Amino acid sequence: MRQAGTYSGLLSGGISGRTGPHSLPLARIKKIMKKSGEDVKMISGEAPIVFSKACELFIEELTLRSWMVTLQSKRRTLHKDDITAAVIATDIFDFLVQMVSDSGSRGPAPAEMET
Amino acid sequence: MVDNIGNSPDSESRNCIAPGATSSTAYGDGCTIKEQDRLLPIANVGRIMKQILPPNAKISKEAKETMQECVSEFISFVTGEASDKCHKEKRKTVNGDDICWALGTLGFDDYAEPLRRYLHKYREVEGEKANSSNKASDTNARDEPSIFRSDPQRNQPLGSTSLKFNAIDRNDGSISRPF
Repeated sequence: MRQAGTYSGLLSGGISGRTGPHSLPLARIKKIMKKSGEDVKMISGEAPIVFSKACELFIEELTLRSWMVTLQSKRRTLHKDDITAAVIATDIFDFLVQMVSDSGSRGPAPAEMET
Repeated sequence: MVDNIGNSPDSESRNCIAPGATSSTAYGDGCTIKEQDRLLPIANVGRIMKQILPPNAKISKEAKETMQECVSEFISFVTGEASDKCHKEKRKTVNGDDICWALGTLGFDDYAEPLRRYLHKYREVEGEKANSSNKASDTNARDEPSIFRSDPQRNQPLGSTSLKFNAIDRNDGSISRPF
Protein backbone atom coordinates (compact mmCIF):
# COMPACT_ATOMS: atom_id res chain seq x y z
CA MET A 1 0.00 0.00 0.00
CA ARG A 2 1.61 3.17 -1.12
CA GLN A 3 2.15 6.03 1.27
CA ALA A 4 0.09 9.05 0.56
CA GLY A 5 2.87 11.39 1.63
CA THR A 6 3.68 12.45 -1.88
CA TYR A 7 0.10 13.35 -2.45
CA SER A 8 -0.58 15.19 0.74
CA GLY A 9 -0.02 18.21 -1.42
CA LEU A 10 -3.07 17.15 -3.38
CA LEU A 11 -5.47 17.62 -0.57
CA SER A 12 -3.83 20.59 1.00
CA GLY A 13 -3.35 22.50 -2.18
CA GLY A 14 0.26 21.84 -3.14
CA ILE A 15 1.19 23.83 -6.16
CA SER A 16 -2.40 24.81 -6.67
CA GLY A 17 -2.54 26.25 -3.20
CA ARG A 18 -0.30 29.03 -4.37
CA THR A 19 -1.83 29.80 -7.71
CA GLY A 20 -5.49 29.52 -6.79
CA PRO A 21 -7.76 26.48 -6.70
CA HIS A 22 -6.45 24.93 -9.89
CA SER A 23 -3.16 25.40 -11.65
CA LEU A 24 -4.51 24.57 -15.09
CA PRO A 25 -7.40 26.28 -16.88
CA LEU A 26 -10.53 24.16 -16.60
CA ALA A 27 -12.17 25.52 -19.74
CA ARG A 28 -9.16 24.59 -21.83
CA ILE A 29 -9.07 21.10 -20.31
CA LYS A 30 -12.71 20.70 -21.16
CA LYS A 31 -12.06 21.75 -24.76
CA ILE A 32 -9.30 19.22 -25.12
CA MET A 33 -11.53 16.53 -23.65
CA LYS A 34 -14.24 17.31 -26.16
CA LYS A 35 -11.84 17.05 -29.03
CA SER A 36 -10.74 13.59 -28.00
CA GLY A 37 -13.62 11.83 -29.70
CA GLU A 38 -17.03 11.89 -31.27
CA ASP A 39 -18.51 10.10 -28.31
CA VAL A 40 -17.59 12.72 -25.82
CA LYS A 41 -20.68 14.79 -25.55
CA MET A 42 -21.30 15.71 -21.98
CA ILE A 43 -18.72 16.28 -19.34
CA SER A 44 -19.54 16.74 -15.70
CA GLY A 45 -18.22 19.81 -13.90
CA GLU A 46 -15.94 17.76 -11.73
CA ALA A 47 -14.14 15.97 -14.58
CA PRO A 48 -11.90 18.89 -15.60
CA ILE A 49 -11.12 19.44 -11.94
CA VAL A 50 -9.96 15.85 -11.54
CA PHE A 51 -7.97 16.23 -14.75
CA SER A 52 -6.31 19.39 -13.58
CA LYS A 53 -4.80 17.40 -10.72
CA ALA A 54 -4.12 14.38 -12.89
CA CYS A 55 -2.28 16.54 -15.42
CA GLU A 56 -0.21 18.07 -12.66
CA LEU A 57 0.82 14.59 -11.52
CA PHE A 58 1.51 13.58 -15.09
CA ILE A 59 3.66 16.62 -15.78
CA GLU A 60 5.55 16.06 -12.55
CA GLU A 61 6.22 12.42 -13.29
CA LEU A 62 7.31 12.94 -16.86
CA THR A 63 9.43 15.92 -15.87
CA LEU A 64 11.21 14.00 -13.14
CA ARG A 65 11.86 11.02 -15.37
CA SER A 66 13.18 13.31 -18.07
CA TRP A 67 15.35 15.07 -15.55
CA MET A 68 16.98 11.78 -14.65
CA VAL A 69 18.01 11.46 -18.27
CA THR A 70 19.34 15.02 -18.20
CA LEU A 71 21.41 14.20 -15.14
CA GLN A 72 22.84 11.10 -16.75
CA SER A 73 24.20 13.33 -19.48
CA LYS A 74 25.60 15.66 -16.84
CA ARG A 75 23.55 18.60 -18.01
CA ARG A 76 21.37 21.01 -16.11
CA THR A 77 19.02 21.97 -18.90
CA LEU A 78 16.14 19.67 -19.61
CA HIS A 79 15.79 19.20 -23.36
CA LYS A 80 13.14 17.73 -25.54
CA ASP A 81 15.28 14.65 -26.21
CA ASP A 82 15.31 13.92 -22.51
CA ILE A 83 11.53 13.82 -22.55
CA THR A 84 11.64 11.55 -25.59
CA ALA A 85 14.00 9.19 -23.82
CA ALA A 86 11.84 9.12 -20.69
CA VAL A 87 8.73 8.39 -22.76
CA ILE A 88 10.42 5.50 -24.53
CA ALA A 89 11.72 4.06 -21.28
CA THR A 90 8.39 4.11 -19.47
CA ASP A 91 5.68 1.58 -20.26
CA ILE A 92 2.73 3.70 -19.30
CA PHE A 93 3.89 6.44 -21.63
CA ASP A 94 3.68 4.18 -24.65
CA PHE A 95 0.79 6.23 -25.96
CA LEU A 96 3.22 9.11 -26.40
CA VAL A 97 5.91 7.26 -28.31
CA GLN A 98 4.43 7.99 -31.69
CA MET A 99 3.96 11.63 -30.91
CA VAL A 100 7.47 12.31 -29.62
CA SER A 101 9.00 10.48 -32.56
CA ASP A 102 6.82 12.20 -35.14
CA SER A 103 7.64 15.69 -34.04
CA GLY A 104 11.14 15.18 -35.40
CA SER A 105 13.42 14.64 -32.48
CA ARG A 106 16.91 15.72 -33.21
CA GLY A 107 18.68 12.44 -32.89
CA PRO A 108 19.16 9.35 -30.73
CA ALA A 109 18.49 9.81 -27.04
CA PRO A 110 21.67 10.61 -25.14
CA ALA A 111 21.05 7.96 -22.47
CA GLU A 112 21.52 4.29 -23.03
CA MET A 113 18.24 2.41 -23.15
CA GLU A 114 17.61 -1.27 -22.78
CA THR A 115 14.73 -2.31 -25.00
CA MET B 1 14.44 32.08 -18.78
CA VAL B 2 11.10 30.91 -17.56
CA ASP B 3 8.38 32.95 -19.15
CA ASN B 4 6.54 33.78 -16.02
CA ILE B 5 3.56 35.61 -17.26
CA GLY B 6 1.68 35.67 -14.02
CA ASN B 7 -0.60 33.44 -12.12
CA SER B 8 -4.13 33.70 -13.30
CA PRO B 9 -4.35 30.40 -15.08
CA ASP B 10 -7.91 30.88 -16.24
CA SER B 11 -7.16 33.92 -18.28
CA GLU B 12 -6.75 32.62 -21.77
CA SER B 13 -6.76 35.89 -23.63
CA ARG B 14 -3.10 36.58 -22.90
CA ASN B 15 -1.93 33.54 -24.75
CA CYS B 16 -3.38 34.61 -28.05
CA ILE B 17 -0.51 34.29 -30.42
CA ALA B 18 3.17 34.08 -29.60
CA PRO B 19 3.75 32.76 -26.10
CA GLY B 20 3.18 29.06 -26.01
CA ALA B 21 2.72 28.80 -29.74
CA THR B 22 3.78 25.37 -30.73
CA SER B 23 6.72 25.09 -33.05
CA SER B 24 5.51 22.01 -34.83
CA THR B 25 3.49 23.74 -37.51
CA ALA B 26 3.85 27.14 -39.06
CA TYR B 27 0.64 27.86 -40.86
CA GLY B 28 -1.18 31.16 -40.81
CA ASP B 29 -2.59 32.85 -37.78
CA GLY B 30 -5.86 30.95 -37.96
CA CYS B 31 -4.12 27.66 -37.31
CA THR B 32 -1.89 29.09 -34.62
CA ILE B 33 -4.92 30.13 -32.65
CA LYS B 34 -6.51 26.78 -33.18
CA GLU B 35 -3.42 25.09 -31.79
CA GLN B 36 -3.67 27.27 -28.72
CA ASP B 37 -7.02 25.67 -28.08
CA ARG B 38 -5.71 22.16 -28.03
CA LEU B 39 -2.80 22.82 -25.70
CA LEU B 40 -2.63 23.92 -22.11
CA PRO B 41 -0.87 27.26 -21.59
CA ILE B 42 2.89 26.99 -21.69
CA ALA B 43 3.23 29.24 -18.64
CA ASN B 44 1.19 26.89 -16.47
CA VAL B 45 2.89 23.78 -17.79
CA GLY B 46 6.31 25.38 -17.40
CA ARG B 47 5.54 26.41 -13.85
CA ILE B 48 4.58 22.91 -12.80
CA MET B 49 7.73 21.54 -14.39
CA LYS B 50 9.90 24.14 -12.74
CA GLN B 51 8.42 23.55 -9.32
CA ILE B 52 9.13 19.83 -9.30
CA LEU B 53 12.75 20.26 -10.36
CA PRO B 54 15.69 21.41 -8.27
CA PRO B 55 16.28 25.17 -8.20
CA ASN B 56 19.34 25.01 -10.45
CA ALA B 57 17.48 23.18 -13.20
CA LYS B 58 16.72 24.86 -16.50
CA ILE B 59 14.12 23.85 -19.02
CA SER B 60 14.40 24.50 -22.72
CA LYS B 61 11.46 26.12 -24.44
CA GLU B 62 11.18 23.17 -26.76
CA ALA B 63 10.93 20.83 -23.81
CA LYS B 64 8.03 22.85 -22.43
CA GLU B 65 6.32 22.75 -25.80
CA THR B 66 6.81 19.02 -25.98
CA MET B 67 5.34 18.70 -22.52
CA GLN B 68 2.30 20.71 -23.62
CA GLU B 69 1.73 18.24 -26.42
CA CYS B 70 2.22 15.29 -24.09
CA VAL B 71 -0.34 16.60 -21.62
CA SER B 72 -2.94 17.14 -24.31
CA GLU B 73 -2.32 13.66 -25.57
CA PHE B 74 -2.70 12.37 -22.01
CA ILE B 75 -6.03 14.12 -21.63
CA SER B 76 -7.29 12.72 -24.93
CA PHE B 77 -6.08 9.25 -24.14
CA VAL B 78 -7.70 9.07 -20.72
CA THR B 79 -10.88 10.80 -21.85
CA GLY B 80 -11.23 8.35 -24.72
CA GLU B 81 -11.09 5.43 -22.35
CA ALA B 82 -13.52 7.04 -19.90
CA SER B 83 -15.87 7.93 -22.69
CA ASP B 84 -15.86 4.37 -24.05
CA LYS B 85 -16.88 3.13 -20.65
CA CYS B 86 -19.74 5.61 -20.47
CA HIS B 87 -20.83 4.62 -23.92
CA LYS B 88 -20.88 0.93 -23.02
CA GLU B 89 -22.86 1.69 -19.91
CA LYS B 90 -25.21 3.87 -21.87
CA ARG B 91 -24.41 6.97 -19.89
CA LYS B 92 -24.06 10.33 -21.52
CA THR B 93 -21.95 12.22 -19.08
CA VAL B 94 -18.31 11.56 -18.32
CA ASN B 95 -17.80 12.20 -14.64
CA GLY B 96 -14.90 12.28 -12.21
CA ASP B 97 -15.25 8.61 -11.30
CA ASP B 98 -14.91 7.64 -14.93
CA ILE B 99 -11.69 9.58 -15.17
CA CYS B 100 -10.34 7.87 -12.05
CA TRP B 101 -11.34 4.49 -13.41
CA ALA B 102 -9.70 5.20 -16.76
CA LEU B 103 -6.49 6.27 -15.07
CA GLY B 104 -6.38 3.00 -13.17
CA THR B 105 -7.08 0.98 -16.28
CA LEU B 106 -4.40 2.70 -18.32
CA GLY B 107 -1.65 2.07 -15.81
CA PHE B 108 -1.76 5.31 -13.85
CA ASP B 109 -2.73 3.57 -10.62
CA ASP B 110 -0.56 5.92 -8.63
CA TYR B 111 -2.82 8.74 -9.65
CA ALA B 112 -6.14 6.96 -9.41
CA GLU B 113 -6.32 6.45 -5.65
CA PRO B 114 -5.28 9.93 -4.53
CA LEU B 115 -7.49 11.45 -7.18
CA ARG B 116 -10.45 9.47 -5.91
CA ARG B 117 -9.82 10.88 -2.47
CA TYR B 118 -9.48 14.34 -3.96
CA LEU B 119 -12.72 13.91 -5.85
CA HIS B 120 -14.46 12.72 -2.71
CA LYS B 121 -13.29 15.78 -0.81
CA TYR B 122 -14.31 18.02 -3.66
CA ARG B 123 -17.78 16.55 -3.67
CA GLU B 124 -18.03 17.04 0.07
CA VAL B 125 -17.07 20.66 -0.26
CA GLU B 126 -19.49 21.22 -3.09
CA GLY B 127 -22.20 19.55 -1.07
CA GLU B 128 -21.48 21.79 1.88
CA LYS B 129 -21.48 24.84 -0.29
CA ALA B 130 -24.80 23.91 -1.79
CA ASN B 131 -26.26 23.36 1.65
CA SER B 132 -24.86 26.50 3.16
CA SER B 133 -26.01 28.67 0.31
CA ASN B 134 -29.47 27.35 0.97
CA LYS B 135 -29.27 27.99 4.66
CA ALA B 136 -27.12 31.14 4.44
CA SER B 137 -24.95 29.90 7.27
CA ASP B 138 -21.71 31.47 8.40
CA THR B 139 -19.49 28.61 7.22
CA ASN B 140 -19.41 29.90 3.66
CA ALA B 141 -15.99 31.44 3.85
CA ARG B 142 -14.34 28.26 5.05
CA ASP B 143 -15.73 25.81 2.58
CA GLU B 144 -13.87 26.22 -0.64
CA PRO B 145 -10.44 27.06 0.66
CA SER B 146 -10.16 24.07 2.93
CA ILE B 147 -9.40 21.48 0.31
CA PHE B 148 -7.40 23.74 -1.90
CA ARG B 149 -5.30 25.76 0.50
CA SER B 150 -2.60 24.65 2.78
CA ASP B 151 -4.20 23.54 5.98
CA PRO B 152 -2.02 22.15 8.72
CA GLN B 153 -4.78 20.04 10.16
CA ARG B 154 -5.29 18.26 6.91
CA ASN B 155 -1.63 17.56 6.50
CA GLN B 156 -1.35 15.54 9.68
CA PRO B 157 -3.01 12.27 8.75
CA LEU B 158 -1.20 12.08 5.45
CA GLY B 159 2.33 12.47 6.66
CA SER B 160 4.90 14.96 5.56
CA THR B 161 5.01 16.32 2.11
CA SER B 162 7.87 14.81 0.24
CA LEU B 163 9.15 15.46 -3.22
CA LYS B 164 10.16 11.87 -3.72
CA PHE B 165 7.86 10.38 -6.26
CA ASN B 166 7.08 6.76 -5.49
CA ALA B 167 5.91 6.13 -9.00
CA ILE B 168 9.38 6.46 -10.41
CA ASP B 169 10.61 3.35 -8.68
CA ARG B 170 7.81 1.12 -9.74
CA ASN B 171 8.80 0.55 -13.29
CA ASP B 172 11.57 -1.18 -15.17
CA GLY B 173 14.99 -0.62 -13.80
CA SER B 174 16.52 0.75 -16.95
CA ILE B 175 16.79 4.32 -15.89
CA SER B 176 16.41 4.04 -12.17
CA ARG B 177 19.25 5.48 -10.23
CA PRO B 178 19.40 6.44 -6.62
CA PHE B 179 18.92 10.14 -6.35
